[in-house]
Amino acid sequence: MSNNPPKMTASHVDVYYGANHAIRDVSIDVCQEDVTAFIGPSGCGKSTFLRSLNRMNDTIPGARVSGDIRLDGDDIYAREMDVVQLRARVGMVFQKPNPFPKSIYENVAYGPKIHGLAQSKAELDRIVERSLSRAGLWNEVKDRLSDSGTALSGGQQQRLCIARAIAVDPEVILMDEPCSALDPVATARIEELIHDLRGRYAIVIVTHNMQQAARVSQRTAFFHLGQLIEYGDTSDIFTNPRQERTKDYITGRYG
Amino acid sequence: MSKSLVPHVPVSAAEVAPHRPTDWRSDAMERRVRRRYAAERRFRLMGLGAVVVSAGFLAFLLIVMIAQGHLGFVETRVTLPLDLRQARLGLTAERLRGPGADLALAGAGLERAVDAAANRAFATEGGAALLSDGAWLRVRDAVKRDPHLLGRPFTLDLPVASAIDVAAKGNGTPAAERTVAALGAHLSRGIARDFLTGADSTDATRAGIWGALKGSLLTMFVTLALAFPVGVLSAIYLEEYAPRNRATDFLEVSINNLAAVPSIVFGLLGLAVFLGTLHLPRSAPLVGGLTLALMTMPVIVIASRNAIRAVPPSIRDAALAVGASPIQVVSHHVLPLAAPGILTGTIIGMARALGETAPLLMIGMRAFIAAPPDRLTDPATALPVQIFLWSDQVSRGFVEKTSAAILVLLVFLLAMNGVAIFLRNRFETRW
Repeated sequence: MSNNPPKMTASHVDVYYGANHAIRDVSIDVCQEDVTAFIGPSGCGKSTFLRSLNRMNDTIPGARVSGDIRLDGDDIYAREMDVVQLRARVGMVFQKPNPFPKSIYENVAYGPKIHGLAQSKAELDRIVERSLSRAGLWNEVKDRLSDSGTALSGGQQQRLCIARAIAVDPEVILMDEPCSALDPVATARIEELIHDLRGRYAIVIVTHNMQQAARVSQRTAFFHLGQLIEYGDTSDIFTNPRQERTKDYITGRYG
Repeated sequence: MSKSLVPHVPVSAAEVAPHRPTDWRSDAMERRVRRRYAAERRFRLMGLGAVVVSAGFLAFLLIVMIAQGHLGFVETRVTLPLDLRQARLGLTAERLRGPGADLALAGAGLERAVDAAANRAFATEGGAALLSDGAWLRVRDAVKRDPHLLGRPFTLDLPVASAIDVAAKGNGTPAAERTVAALGAHLSRGIARDFLTGADSTDATRAGIWGALKGSLLTMFVTLALAFPVGVLSAIYLEEYAPRNRATDFLEVSINNLAAVPSIVFGLLGLAVFLGTLHLPRSAPLVGGLTLALMTMPVIVIASRNAIRAVPPSIRDAALAVGASPIQVVSHHVLPLAAPGILTGTIIGMARALGETAPLLMIGMRAFIAAPPDRLTDPATALPVQIFLWSDQVSRGFVEKTSAAILVLLVFLLAMNGVAIFLRNRFETRW
């Protein structure tokens, strides 16, 4: 098992969409400086669970979360928790690249601006440059920061979204199938990027691609029908799964 | 496998039935293809026909209106020789410099002097009866501009009476036609400035559209100032904040029904609430604007809600995920993207309000108002009401005024739509 201390701890989490019980009694620790992969068939609830880690489920009518999720020991569903700050601390990257229909610069600068992270234009410029560099996009866009973010290619857009997420200096980054809309080359770039970002942030990535999970993550959780079947070091999950269902899934013998 | 991840699905009976290959070249198949092509062609022709018919109606309307209406902007004038020394007005150039000039000239009997001059010049054709009631006012203005005219003879082109004007434009009675023929070279044509700068009048040659236009402008101002913010804010609240429950469902149905309520009902409401209960001034643009705002609001709410709903949820998610508060999501992302749709809805509602007559009749904006309104509480009328009133007039001269007023209304509408299209293009962003 990884020795890194836990950044987020979830215990006995259930999520309901109206009458639909989407997540059943999931307990999991997300560790600092680790990449944690959530794998499992479609509709197994891994994205639902991911969205409950930064309370994005709040925006879905009828969604209800019970159980206990803590960030650095603080209950994120507590009344005192400010959801706006929580989402700044726990950033998110979505399945489909969704840059704002604004310039590249504005896309990255938006988060720091609304949270007042920069005191001057120069400081904001530095944050934008740093974020774009960390996202591996700076060299490609530095000469056209005022171009529309939506004019970039799909892979570039996704890296822009990652730059936007890290611009507010989050502690955790949640990625919901960030490569499923991208071609293999762009996917490889994002995977490299996840490697580079690993030391700075706790990263949780939902993926359908088993090889991707094996390549980028240190820890892997396998979900099925709303339950957490198995959670452990990625090397163990892929070479020596304890559960029969995990083994079926990762070997592609699905049925 | 001991515990399968996927449940076993039994094979259906249809799947095991014998299979016959499809013959793509059979007669039945070719008939079907021909029928499909024929249907396509028929449908396209029907669509084209519909477009041609509607464009034809529009062209017909415009041609008729311009053919009749353009004469409303033109007046017939007669050249009258004047010598005010004979009238002994007893005025000096000094008295015509101050603000009392109008009163001084009227008091000195200028109107009588002009009539006398007309009687002298055109005794056989009817003399003073040739001139429009307002003709002497032109003389007054000319003398005010140049007081030296008091001391020497001069000629002035003055508007003729309505009957002569109509005859000169080819539509008058036989008697008036004869008069026009007799005057011959003394007649000329010019732009009817009174029409564009004046208010309503019982004399067709003096009736102007400016009073009604200004009334409409003030009314629209009140409507926009009330309906736009209230409508957009309601739409934002209903889309972004309101919980989904029975109360909001009921509200939604009510708003949709409100948009379909006949406008005269809003007139009655305005009459009962604004005049009856609140005792606001009758015939005022303020009350007209409030009434039309009630009518326009549901249209704006519905259009704005649709525009807000059309903003991709991914943009909202993106903003929320970097820690934008709900109000920031709305003001920074949703509204800019929804602005084109909101503006389109607003302009549709405003255009409908501009053309509305019935509710304004109910709150008394159909009165005869001879002066353009200066304030929101002054008595006023509006363009469509003015058109309705003029179309009801017996005097022949009002026919062309009615058409001309319709042209003014159409130009106003086009200008409003133009502004909307301009604004929409400025806000338009693709995502």
